[in-house]
Amino acid sequence: MDLSTVIDKNRINLAVDANNKEEALNILIDMLVKSGSIVSKEVFIKDVYLREAEGKTGIGGGIAIPHGKSKTVVQTSLAIGRTKKPIFWESLDDEPVQFIILFAVRDVDSTTVHVRLLGEIAGKLADEEIVEQLLTSKKAEDVISIFSQDN
Amino acid sequence: MNIVGIAACTSGIAHTYIAKEKLMKAGQALNHTIHIETQGTIGTENELLPQDIAAADVVIIAADIKVGGRDRFAGKKIVDIPTHIAIKSPKALLNKIQAELGI
Repeated sequence: MDLSTVIDKNRINLAVDANNKEEALNILIDMLVKSGSIVSKEVFIKDVYLREAEGKTGIGGGIAIPHGKSKTVVQTSLAIGRTKKPIFWESLDDEPVQFIILFAVRDVDSTTVHVRLLGEIAGKLADEEIVEQLLTSKKAEDVISIFSQDN
Repeated sequence: MNIVGIAACTSGIAHTYIAKEKLMKAGQALNHTIHIETQGTIGTENELLPQDIAAADVVIIAADIKVGGRDRFAGKKIVDIPTHIAIKSPKALLNKIQAELGI
């Protein structure tokens, strides 16, 4: 699976220095701004929190998948972060989160290959082995190869 | 059991596909035959086949929104749950359904 259109090592940070969800999202969103994936940080944050208000994005096992479908997204892409220590996040298992995959989705991107890729990546998170690999990965390239494995 | 189902979440981007995979993995681990259709932002994928629906003992609708094509399941036992149940405890869900059906 070629994920290079949505995942880039410049948008993976395995040592996110954050004490809470707000700080973590801030760091992840900065990576999206820097890579030109989104234009307005303010608009995107608002759309991410809009989704957060609809239901828990912590899926259990230390993983969270916040996402924003937003007008300010230029290119549908992911920002990935692992926090140095577990942080509080509204989660299905009521446990803290350490691995965060932020989905930035173009508002008009409803049928493209990119959104399809995001679904495939999300589906991989159902696999406990993959989750364990993500939580213990050493470098950004490892994360990309974990997601690139075919089932 | 023969299981068919649908997964669909609010934004149709992520939870839909996690719920599907969780149900598929749990179903296979527990030796059930299982087919799950996804209704996401990119549309319907893995659309259920009429013969799979006909053979199904139960229909699991793991959805946070109204799903399309519910009329396909007329006369079938339908279990409606939110996606988070499928994501959080898929095996427990299948075991409970099996116990209720007594098969």
